[in-house]
Amino acid sequence: MGDELRVDSGALIFATLADVYISSGMIDEAISILQDGLARNPNYHLAKVMLGRAYCLKGEFDKAVATLEAIYDDIKEDESANLYLGHSYLKLGDNEKAVRFYEAALKIHAENTEALQALEKLVPGFAAKPDVESAKPSEEKPEIAEPTEAIHEVVLPDEAEAPTREVVLPAEPSGAIREVVLPSEPEVEVSGSSVQEEATAESFIQEIPEKPIETGTVPLKSLDKPVGRLLSLESVKSVFIATKDGLLIKNYGKGENDVEAICASVAGICLDVDEAFRLLKRGGLTRCIIEKPDETICVMVVGDSLLTVITKVETKPGLVFVYARKIIEEIEEILG
Amino acid sequence: MKLEDFIKIPKVLGAGLVSEDGFIIEGRATYEYDTERLGAIAARVVHRIKNSFGMEGASAVIYTKENVLFLKEVEQGIVFVICQKDANVGLVKIRLNKIA
Repeated sequence: MGDELRVDSGALIFATLADVYISSGMIDEAISILQDGLARNPNYHLAKVMLGRAYCLKGEFDKAVATLEAIYDDIKEDESANLYLGHSYLKLGDNEKAVRFYEAALKIHAENTEALQALEKLVPGFAAKPDVESAKPSEEKPEIAEPTEAIHEVVLPDEAEAPTREVVLPAEPSGAIREVVLPSEPEVEVSGSSVQEEATAESFIQEIPEKPIETGTVPLKSLDKPVGRLLSLESVKSVFIATKDGLLIKNYGKGENDVEAICASVAGICLDVDEAFRLLKRGGLTRCIIEKPDETICVMVVGDSLLTVITKVETKPGLVFVYARKIIEEIEEILG
Repeated sequence: MKLEDFIKIPKVLGAGLVSEDGFIIEGRATYEYDTERLGAIAARVVHRIKNSFGMEGASAVIYTKENVLFLKEVEQGIVFVICQKDANVGLVKIRLNKIA
């Protein structure tokens, strides 16, 4: 996989961008960019794993399974691929396969909390073991609870909400889900059970571990403040960030420009200039000012991205570059 | 237009006028820089800008790691000026803007 990245640096760009989109909850955008990128780099397995993950997060579990299974022999050591195959099969009702893939994920990383939590719900009496060497997909088949009754939904990462109050009672032969009140509550309500049953059940109650709520800020959000300073200049009409191949990452526009068209045009011009100067062995493009009759376009190369600022004609480009310097540092830090 | 106006500016390495299809009409540069190549680059970039933004009279300033290249489309063709990164870029731009 490393070789593929070295051969095609563009691959790294679209996968990085897709990762940012997924982190930001922009699943459709991530799927779109991954499909485009994979059309150019069909053997880029990391991107296929990300695409499978994106499909799973979107709820398109059939597509997730098809994407990941197609290359499973090459990615079987990938923790994320096994985890999302597990999630997808679980949602599709194939708990046996779900368990196998969760176990494979645990074999790669024994402390994968999502896989552990899912297995705790799927396999009665399952307890996390330090040594999960025996867990191999398609070999051992541990006892699995009935798919429709004894299991409740695994919370996917993007669906993380308040901790559920449903618990599993493994000792029950059927209809194993009971609603009970957590220990901190004063009373326990179990419909249709005797007092003796309640006591037995309580001893087996496994409280589902609370999933920590992610409180970190979305990476691109941290750019809002510095870009806001640039946008506060009266003469600045629009600011946007795009990849070097012309795909929009974020638009902070306050104008009515066709941003995506400008992204593509600017990227094309920059690519031309960059190639020409590299042929002259005079170094690549670092920034560029394009003067149009009605506005000025200032473009700055930031790692693998382009920061574009559209200003009124009368704006001093030097002022734009001074304000942009701080943003450039932060974009480089976030996007690389 | 007098190319000498640009060449006299400290750290300006070359200047020239090329036709829209990249053939050099007039040009001067220090020995390290080939005016024909620079002219071809200037024509290609201006052509690209015109096509992308659909405008006449394209003008651009391009910064690379070592140089700054000025491009401006005029009636006679495309003027280009190349200078070192630490040249007085503002002065070059003023002179270029005076060209009709």
